[in-house]
Amino acid sequence: MADGYFYIKAGELAERGIKDLPRELAGNRHLIYSSPATLAFNSPGAQGFGVKRAGLAVPESVMLLVAPRCCGRNTSALASPGGALGERFFYLLLDETDIVTGRHLVRIPEAVKEICRTLPAPPPAVMICITCVDALLGTDMERVCRRCTEAAGVPVVPCYMYALTREGRLPPMVQVRKSVYSLLEPRPKKADAVNLLGFFTPLQEDCELYALLRQAGVKKIREIARCRTFAEYLEMAEANFDVVLHHEARYAALDLEKRLGIPSVELVRLYDLEKVRRQYALFGAAIGASFDDGSFYARAEGAVRNFADRHGKIAFSVGEWLNGDPFELALALLRYGFAVPEIFGTVGEGNFVWVKKIAQLSPETRISSNLSPTMLLYGEDAPACDAFIGRDARFYHPHLPGIDWNGEAQPFGYAGIAALFRELDRALSSGKEGAR
Amino acid sequence: MKGLLKRLAPFAPDTSGAVSALFELGGLVVICDAGGCTGNICGFDEPRWFTMRSAVFSAGMRDMDAILGRDAQLVEKIVSAQQTVKAPFVVLAGTPVPAVIATDFKALRRLTEKKTCVPVLAVESTGVNHYDRGASRAFELLFDAFAAEQLPVEKETVGVIGATPLDLGTLRAGDLLREALGPGAQVYGMGAGLDAVRRASANACNLVVSPAGVAAAQLLEKRFGTPWRPACPYLPEPVLEALPRLKGKRVLAVHQQFACAALREKLLGCGAAAVAVCSWFSMTDALREPQDRRLAEEDDLAAAVTAFGADAVIADRVFEKVLPGFKGEFIDFPHFAVSGRLTERQE
Repeated sequence: MADGYFYIKAGELAERGIKDLPRELAGNRHLIYSSPATLAFNSPGAQGFGVKRAGLAVPESVMLLVAPRCCGRNTSALASPGGALGERFFYLLLDETDIVTGRHLVRIPEAVKEICRTLPAPPPAVMICITCVDALLGTDMERVCRRCTEAAGVPVVPCYMYALTREGRLPPMVQVRKSVYSLLEPRPKKADAVNLLGFFTPLQEDCELYALLRQAGVKKIREIARCRTFAEYLEMAEANFDVVLHHEARYAALDLEKRLGIPSVELVRLYDLEKVRRQYALFGAAIGASFDDGSFYARAEGAVRNFADRHGKIAFSVGEWLNGDPFELALALLRYGFAVPEIFGTVGEGNFVWVKKIAQLSPETRISSNLSPTMLLYGEDAPACDAFIGRDARFYHPHLPGIDWNGEAQPFGYAGIAALFRELDRALSSGKEGAR
Repeated sequence: MKGLLKRLAPFAPDTSGAVSALFELGGLVVICDAGGCTGNICGFDEPRWFTMRSAVFSAGMRDMDAILGRDAQLVEKIVSAQQTVKAPFVVLAGTPVPAVIATDFKALRRLTEKKTCVPVLAVESTGVNHYDRGASRAFELLFDAFAAEQLPVEKETVGVIGATPLDLGTLRAGDLLREALGPGAQVYGMGAGLDAVRRASANACNLVVSPAGVAAAQLLEKRFGTPWRPACPYLPEPVLEALPRLKGKRVLAVHQQFACAALREKLLGCGAAAVAVCSWFSMTDALREPQDRRLAEEDDLAAAVTAFGADAVIADRVFEKVLPGFKGEFIDFPHFAVSGRLTERQE
């Protein structure tokens, strides 16, 4: 570690192991530094998807946020005029007596009724978002929602924005994924229908997963973000199986299996070509299909090669505020022959396997946590990099070319790899910041 | 229905006000939350956060911290961060979590002070009140802690208290106030730092530019005899340009009370028939006229417009949403604490 900000070299971290993480990499052992690089951690709803925006993934639904005013403050950014969510947020503000006594709970059904009365037509569903206050009060929100349904005559579903439980067994973004699929009711299954679970925005249009599923005979591929109406959303219940594309959707998939009998298979977003190929082979075997993914592989490989030819073996600063796991992405970059002098990320059980492999290829790679108070000192002793990937990495390297790589269209598979290198090529060719 | 917002989003909370008042002063600011409040405060209510590095931290509380009241652990984390930051003081800002579990901020302050050996300001904000309450308490605690020494009065030095982007709506507020008042103006929290706060007793007078500055000004008056008066020397140019055309009209101004009072003076100077001031935030009796109203619920503004018979409304344009039937002229006066919009972005 240098005198300034904290980092640990990948080699040293791998040697220490996951059970011996340095204090600065363990978010629960220090204050959480607040910088633009940590905004996605501290307030996912402020940028991208937090519980509030995610809850509204149910088409045509509205949300009632029941909370102190501070919890709804950033929502006005989502609810700004012209914003897609403009008219779909409502707020029941709690006062000091409410947060101590919980008396607000009896007002919620009346509030839901009034919202339904106010709208030109009753919404197909009302999502009720509650926060840390109700987590501490131990509110039985399922019961409150049932009362709301009785009062207003529309389905009412809880969304738990319990930041206090962020590192718990069921963190808010896991819970909300269950909530948004909880309105699906049993329907007869259709053998040629599949759901893609995990994201609140659609996969990139050119993702090969669509084509591969069609090769396997699938005709209906549904994603919640592509459902324009509540009726379309309800059709997701007829799926033969679910494909889980984000680990935080695993719990929702299990719930769907239990309630609707829809089994699931999980795929991981990867940036390593060979791993993508192996994953598709395993996926094909699991569903009894054989995928012909050669052309997709070749296209992605071409994009990687083209980038390397044009820009050489450059060094990347890799952040965690991006569509992917920073350690997996860094490992893929190293395997393609690039350098990764630093990674900003949250090390956990799930991604330590990548850390160990990074340690073998690039033991000197520095690993830091955006959340460490020492990041206030990040500066002159930072390693030399040629480009950044990730919105947090941009914060540390405002003068480097690079890409945020946290757009709404979700990169996945070969198409994701090709798009990554296309965007990087564009950013480095212009010498300026790339896709935001 | 009380507390139900159907067209507006919540305004800035007290925690944001507290952080905003102290943001530039170099303290180690600890927001006692689970993370979300910090994200909202920094990412939405503090526009300087994107351009200025500052030592704002979340306590990163988790359920068991709240249930077990692990104050000692929090203090340990603060001590550790202070070893990195070496700040001249520490701020503890409350949120709903400590409000629910009834955190003893006095004890927490004392414990933190003892361990860090620097002054600690504990703002017991709860997240349920408006920003002005948090800002007011923060300014008051700041001057109480640091403006201790009686210095000779300097005739040309004027203190400006209550300036935050939340109220003044521009990142250039400090510069604009200094331009308007001269180089001797000390705009606390927007340009004038902790040393200036320590020298506050040298001010010939204090100008208070928002209700959030009143308590601190009163404290300085009591402690050093420094006179103070409300003033809002800066109003956005597009608003000022619109005033002449309101001659003969009944105008309702909606903003923080001191800005509205300055606006009223200018409107009456331009020949407006009558001016009423409305605010959702603190209003001092000294500036209040009989036709003025404190607003509480979303529908109150429409009622105030009707009751006053307003021909024109000067307010942040988000309030157009709660005045669907209003046929008069609406002049946009951005209020950052309401809409999160700076006057720099005024169209």
